[in-house]
Amino acid sequence: MNLKKLTGALALSAVVASSLVAADTVKIGVQAPITGKYANEGQSIENFVKLIADEKNAAGGLLGKQIEVITCDDEAKAQKAAVCAKKLVNAGVIADIGSYTSGATEDAQTTYYRNKVLQTSDGTSDSLIKRKYWTFFRNSFPNSSQSDFTAEYMVNTKKYKNIVVLSDYSSYSAGLGDATEASVKALGGNVVFRGKIKAGTQNFTAMLTKVKAMNPDVIYYSGYYTDGGLLRAQQQQLQINADFVGGDSNDNPDFYKLAGKAAEGTVLINFPTPEILPYEVAKKYLAAYKETFKMNPPSIWPVTNADGLRAVIEGVEKTNSFDTKKISDYIRNDMKDFPGITGPFNIRADGERVGAKFVVYKMKNDGTKNVVSE
Amino acid sequence: MDIFLQQLINGLTIGSLYALVALGYTMVYGVMKLINFAHGDLVAFSAYVGLTIFTQFYGSNALNLVNIVIVFSLTAIVVAFVGVLLERLAYRPLRTAPRLSAVVSALGASLVIQNGIMLIWGPNMEIFPSDVFPATSWNFGGVIISFTQLVILALSAVLMIALYIFINKTKMGTAIRATAIDQDAAKLMGINVNRIIVIIFVVGSMLGAIGGLFIGIYYRGLTFDMGWLYGLNAFIAAIIGGIGSIPGAMLGGLLLGLFNAMIAGYISTEWAETFTFILLIVILILRPTGLLGEKTAEKV
Repeated sequence: MNLKKLTGALALSAVVASSLVAADTVKIGVQAPITGKYANEGQSIENFVKLIADEKNAAGGLLGKQIEVITCDDEAKAQKAAVCAKKLVNAGVIADIGSYTSGATEDAQTTYYRNKVLQTSDGTSDSLIKRKYWTFFRNSFPNSSQSDFTAEYMVNTKKYKNIVVLSDYSSYSAGLGDATEASVKALGGNVVFRGKIKAGTQNFTAMLTKVKAMNPDVIYYSGYYTDGGLLRAQQQQLQINADFVGGDSNDNPDFYKLAGKAAEGTVLINFPTPEILPYEVAKKYLAAYKETFKMNPPSIWPVTNADGLRAVIEGVEKTNSFDTKKISDYIRNDMKDFPGITGPFNIRADGERVGAKFVVYKMKNDGTKNVVSE
Repeated sequence: MDIFLQQLINGLTIGSLYALVALGYTMVYGVMKLINFAHGDLVAFSAYVGLTIFTQFYGSNALNLVNIVIVFSLTAIVVAFVGVLLERLAYRPLRTAPRLSAVVSALGASLVIQNGIMLIWGPNMEIFPSDVFPATSWNFGGVIISFTQLVILALSAVLMIALYIFINKTKMGTAIRATAIDQDAAKLMGINVNRIIVIIFVVGSMLGAIGGLFIGIYYRGLTFDMGWLYGLNAFIAAIIGGIGSIPGAMLGGLLLGLFNAMIAGYISTEWAETFTFILLIVILILRPTGLLGEKTAEKV
């Protein structure tokens, strides 16, 4: 049944049609970086989308029509993203899955909106929902959700009294640090010190000695592992008896190497890896993915995009139509706790995915990590 | 009080590292009137060489004293060799050229070493094993000093005293001082100036190598461009102490470390660097030749 044909001029794009007659298909676009630095992520998004489309087609298709997946390689570049959006719109897709990066997603948003094409992406930048396009919904969680989760963990789960928040000066790290400080305060927690270190300067003993006098219960660091590992090592060297909680960018094997023995007991907060997703539907799809493509997805992001597609399919079936406005309204207003691969799938009226799930890891003395049950 | 003493220890540790590196700048300047900008990168290079020797010969197991001495000596010899090569290739051909040409050559040599490190070891961070020295530390009424810090402080002090005696009490030291004052007159007195300059590069590079190894062991994370960070601070330390003066480089390094720790501890961590350098500018306004700089007039 599978006939493959290449669309003539644009060699980068391949169309896989699982149908015999064009009129009996409904088209779904994939805009993702198939080549370049993020190629493994982009290819995995395409793979996952095809996996779900094939499953649907084998079960009789979507409202009786076969799903045709059209992929466009945006190379995670702004210019290519705009070209891809135009191309997919012209091909007549009802929805676009992707792109992988926030930047390439944002640059394509307006084109999809003007042409009433649904778009869903894993981009985590808070700015993606600023334009309030009804066509867009996020299938991952925004950066700001991490600070809420972290504050909840520190204030309510661990009941830390004196909290120290450190970051570096980069916009990512300082932003996450500021947001975490605000979230902790909103929960009634006590931030005794908010400091910034200069990434790469290696010597943090002066600041840590100052922090020591404040008797902190926990030091939270929102920057990268290259500095986080050293912070933890120097914290232990100065015998500051506080827990250490690191943001998602500390989750790297080199953190353990830098911190040495001090790494033991360090807590890291990150998005879950696909392998540890606890849901039944997750186990089913990840097993199918592994069987078809002989590997696991490289990260959680292709999986959230798969959930984006599944939400669109659900919307089509529940509204019994291909009207994108109706589908969008259903996803935003009527869909509650749709069983996503990455957990309950709920979209707020502005297109934001809510109910963020993060994982708390604890480092063991051999450099491996444990998932801490909450 | 214990916080103050802790900051003192923090400052002295990083200050000793700056001082060890600053000695390399000041010795070369004293004799050749040349800022050897490649010295910081030589320090980074020695940290990488040390790491390679550690991992090649001994694995990442804790080392005994004999092995540590061997690793330090081997690293110092390799780096001294590269330092001499640097002098021979980048500076000796320009000895009589205008001073600016030599400075440009020094900057070029800095880039060559930095990129060399990147090509040999790659652009990603390399990490020293965490158990080179035992993780023991002592707590004196709230003031904590680790074994590694103690080794850094003690060995730096020993090396600096040894250097001071070498320069001031030995025949070779006298020849170095004579060359620093006037190369032509030194030649007329039968001093082999080329040999003196090679010795300067050997000693300076070896001290830098020990500093680089300490940086690697204490801070663990090595990046190919780290020479810039430590080189710049050490260079400033040398100027503060009075460039060309050996006790000045030691004093400058320790003061820079102490200022930084105290300002970060008591005034503002964000503004620590800014305030440190403002203070240093004030010192230079009051004493333009640095704290222990020679007050002699410029040679004509």
